[in-house]
Amino acid sequence: MQVAIVGNGIAGTTTARFVGERVPDAKITIYSREPYAYYSRPRLIDFIAGEAPLEGMPQYDAAWYEKRHIETCLSCEVASIDTAGKTLTLSSGQQHSYDVLVLATGANAFVPPIAGVEKKGVGTLRTLQDAVTLCQAAQCCDRIVVLGGGLLGLDTAISFIHFGTAVTVVEAQPWLLPRQLDREGAAVLQHMVESRGVRVITDDLCLQVLGEEQVEGIRLKSGLELPACQLVISAGVRANIALAKQAGLACNRGILVNERMETSAPQVYAVGDCAEFNGNVWGIIPVALAQARVAASQIAGEVTTLYTDLVPSTTLQVGGIELTSIGEVNPVGEGFQEYRYADDAHAVYKKVVVRDGIVVGAIMFGDRSDLPAITRLVSQKIDVTAVASRLVSSDFNVGDWLKSATA
Amino acid sequence: MSKWECQVCGYVYDPEVGDEVGGIAPGVAFEDLPEDWVCPECGVGKDMFEEVN
Repeated sequence: MQVAIVGNGIAGTTTARFVGERVPDAKITIYSREPYAYYSRPRLIDFIAGEAPLEGMPQYDAAWYEKRHIETCLSCEVASIDTAGKTLTLSSGQQHSYDVLVLATGANAFVPPIAGVEKKGVGTLRTLQDAVTLCQAAQCCDRIVVLGGGLLGLDTAISFIHFGTAVTVVEAQPWLLPRQLDREGAAVLQHMVESRGVRVITDDLCLQVLGEEQVEGIRLKSGLELPACQLVISAGVRANIALAKQAGLACNRGILVNERMETSAPQVYAVGDCAEFNGNVWGIIPVALAQARVAASQIAGEVTTLYTDLVPSTTLQVGGIELTSIGEVNPVGEGFQEYRYADDAHAVYKKVVVRDGIVVGAIMFGDRSDLPAITRLVSQKIDVTAVASRLVSSDFNVGDWLKSATA
Repeated sequence: MSKWECQVCGYVYDPEVGDEVGGIAPGVAFEDLPEDWVCPECGVGKDMFEEVN
């Protein structure tokens, strides 16, 4: 069985790995337009921070791929797919046939249509090449502005500090990590980020990139002008669906898939940041892994393995800041109870959101000792009515209670 | 006992150290971690770990 996988990120590589383990006669080829074998995207931050060398970025050596009968076709852009004839055509003109195709084309950084955004010195961080380019820029730039105070924006900003440049983060929403934190938690975070030397501006929007050919600064809606020789845009991602659309697959914001990760064409699957299931394009690693597992199982003939949406969980871990956010942390509407615990002296902030006795969201910031237990409460939908108000308390051990409650 | 590396974020589980976040005391082999144990750095499951040679 010829299995073609388009995309070399965590979704494509994990699918290849699981197919290789489960289908002994599969011949797997991973196509990537990037010149690098699989590398971990979260580690791009370590690379920029100077903690991981370039040569250490590829995760696997040739022997790893060989052992799993996986071939890699690097710097290979797939230009088109013929789903009826089961062939794909590379931009070089070469044609390859397949029995099963997995699209793991990922997402591209979204660049908002800001005036002047095409100037030199405006970049995004998505690939290893992007990280290399940004590091080169940072070495001769004394002022960097990051647009976007989400997970990646903050990670990126903090990782630049060691270059000795002044770093500013601009977030359009009223507080940092608007999807993962509430206002109180974000205040604690902002203080920590600022104490590490990053300037934070919230509730303001970049209207214009200043400079001639090269960026010299930005102008904000408030009228404030920030000088900068490098601008990094971290305004979210968009699923990369161009190839799928060309092939005639049904797409919305992402490539539409069912609970088997099947697209609208036979023997064509889609997984990870490019896939849309049930109206959701999550763009986070746990979802990509879950989808890769399902696609690999389906390809291996284990057709009863189906995908269901997870409760999203994200973690920020940079510069001594550790926080995890799970599920619904800023509930809208009625029927939710919110319980908070704050210890400003130790930069600890915890919150759980409960609905009908079930934990549906949590923030664990600065103290994640209860995280495994809280994650279980959420994923197993355990009734916490009896202890809801004590869950975040510093003298309550969630793990011990969970053990006794489920014993 | 071997060390195991997370293929997503590069975290290395060292049995001699354990995992404080996950409530794992030093001395627990990777194979003996609970099945629902997750990477303390990025939250993925045990099947995303590979043994470090």
